[in-house]
Amino acid sequence: MASHEESEQMDCALDLMRRLPPQNVEENLLTLLEILPELTEDLLSAIDQPLKVRQDSVAGKEYLACDYNRDGDSYRSPWSNTYDPPLADGSAPSDRLRKLEVAANEAFATYKELYYEGGVSSVYLWDMDDSFAGVVLIKKVNDGTVRSKGSWDSIHVVEVLEKGRQARYKLTSTVMLYTVASGAKGDRQSEINLSGSLTRQDERDLPVEDAGAHIANMGRMVEDMEFKMRNALQEVYFGKTHDIVNGLRSTADTNEAKTRERLQRDLFDQLKSRKD
Amino acid sequence: MSSGSKLAKAASLLLHSPPGEVDDVFNDIRGIVGDDEALQEHLEPVLAESNMQQFLVADVPERQSRVLLTPYNRVDDARYMDPNTRTTFAFDNLHRVASDPQDLEDGEAPEGEALRAAVQKELDGYVAAHYPSGAANAFAHEGAVVSCIVSNRFSPTNFWNGSWRAVWSYNPSTRQLNGSAKIRVHYFEDGNVQLDTQSDFTADVAAAGDDEAVAKRVVAIIRGYEADFQLSIGDGYRQLSEKTFKGLRRALPVTCNKIDWDKIANYKIGWELGNAEN
Repeated sequence: MASHEESEQMDCALDLMRRLPPQNVEENLLTLLEILPELTEDLLSAIDQPLKVRQDSVAGKEYLACDYNRDGDSYRSPWSNTYDPPLADGSAPSDRLRKLEVAANEAFATYKELYYEGGVSSVYLWDMDDSFAGVVLIKKVNDGTVRSKGSWDSIHVVEVLEKGRQARYKLTSTVMLYTVASGAKGDRQSEINLSGSLTRQDERDLPVEDAGAHIANMGRMVEDMEFKMRNALQEVYFGKTHDIVNGLRSTADTNEAKTRERLQRDLFDQLKSRKD
Repeated sequence: MSSGSKLAKAASLLLHSPPGEVDDVFNDIRGIVGDDEALQEHLEPVLAESNMQQFLVADVPERQSRVLLTPYNRVDDARYMDPNTRTTFAFDNLHRVASDPQDLEDGEAPEGEALRAAVQKELDGYVAAHYPSGAANAFAHEGAVVSCIVSNRFSPTNFWNGSWRAVWSYNPSTRQLNGSAKIRVHYFEDGNVQLDTQSDFTADVAAAGDDEAVAKRVVAIIRGYEADFQLSIGDGYRQLSEKTFKGLRRALPVTCNKIDWDKIANYKIGWELGNAEN
């Protein structure tokens, strides 16, 4: 159990990470780990970092590494179910849950192809007291053209509570979006870095006729969530932040606008007095 | 890691604070370190740097004048100068309060003051016309006239803060104008999204005439570059939204239909519900 002091330090660390530039999330997290080494495990599990792509040499496929498939310094691949570097007694889902994990990885790989047309996906499940939880990860990097590049990381954490032929699904989704463009206007260059993350939650009670229904239920929830979040990202990134920029500086000369307003008012007064 | 270098590292996070959130970041750092006394000596120099980095606007006591805190008008560790009222004053970087105004010694106006004052006048007109909440100062610094512009809009209740800062240095002997403008925006409703953009410029000022004519020309160039920078940001936004973003994830699959999950998730998992044994 964390001490009162530690939980206050943790709150401050999380607030700090919500304020510091998301462009440097890894660097800022390292700084926090140096200052608060006793909270290393808590910080690593609470702060989302960009997903790392790793190669599963057994299955010959790429997979995503994050805190959910980490044990010590090793990461488990969802394809071969092995740790790299090898780990004799690394934690793994029970046999029954591993079957569901294998099927979920296949289903979300299809989902990823249809929406992302590339990228890497991984699903990890773990046993809970009398239920299970999991995370659906998707990463797509667009090295793009000389003028722009970007990356999208989805992290969907699902907690499943089985209740007979029903289950309650609690979904917490974070999308990290990094975009960089270099613009040229006239005789000089500028660079725009627009990056960060949004987090949303959803909770649903859904029927579960058989184990496969868990995949369909999680799939629909993730699909709906990503649809909403894609719209929210579009609005926040390219709408709101741009409006804020244009509120800092006015492209029009406000003195000219005021002068024009005054002239119009004068003209109106003149017309009015003529009419009277 | 020694505790001294830990504290210095914690204090330095202040310099990464988004605009308008220095106090929040400051309180987070205090909460993380949990030892105000030990933190204090590391924070003082960082606070001074942070205030200058943000171009904090100070009210000059008893002079009805406001001036930006910048490296160009810093007299020493504790004092700054307002060139418009020819005053120096002490500044408490923690509480952000100015005090102890003192007139600069009388005497002939320093070299370059006429040009500086002319640039200040032009700058005031330009900033009033284009920055709804802007402030600007021209400083005589190492033979150059350095113009600093800041425009902040803080709306934490609506989960956003933004700042525009620009520095322009005109060297009368080479007639060169160097500058950079930087914008930071933080949007933080259910997330942390930040815009960070900067642009650097160099221009030759082909101006002949008296100080007033040169000042008009310098500020006209600044106005032109900043207007172009703002337009180029609009182009960048279009590029990111229409190309980069759309290239990452489709709104819907090519078929324009959502996924038939019953079809792709139709697996025989091989275990029944309620059967928890492996």
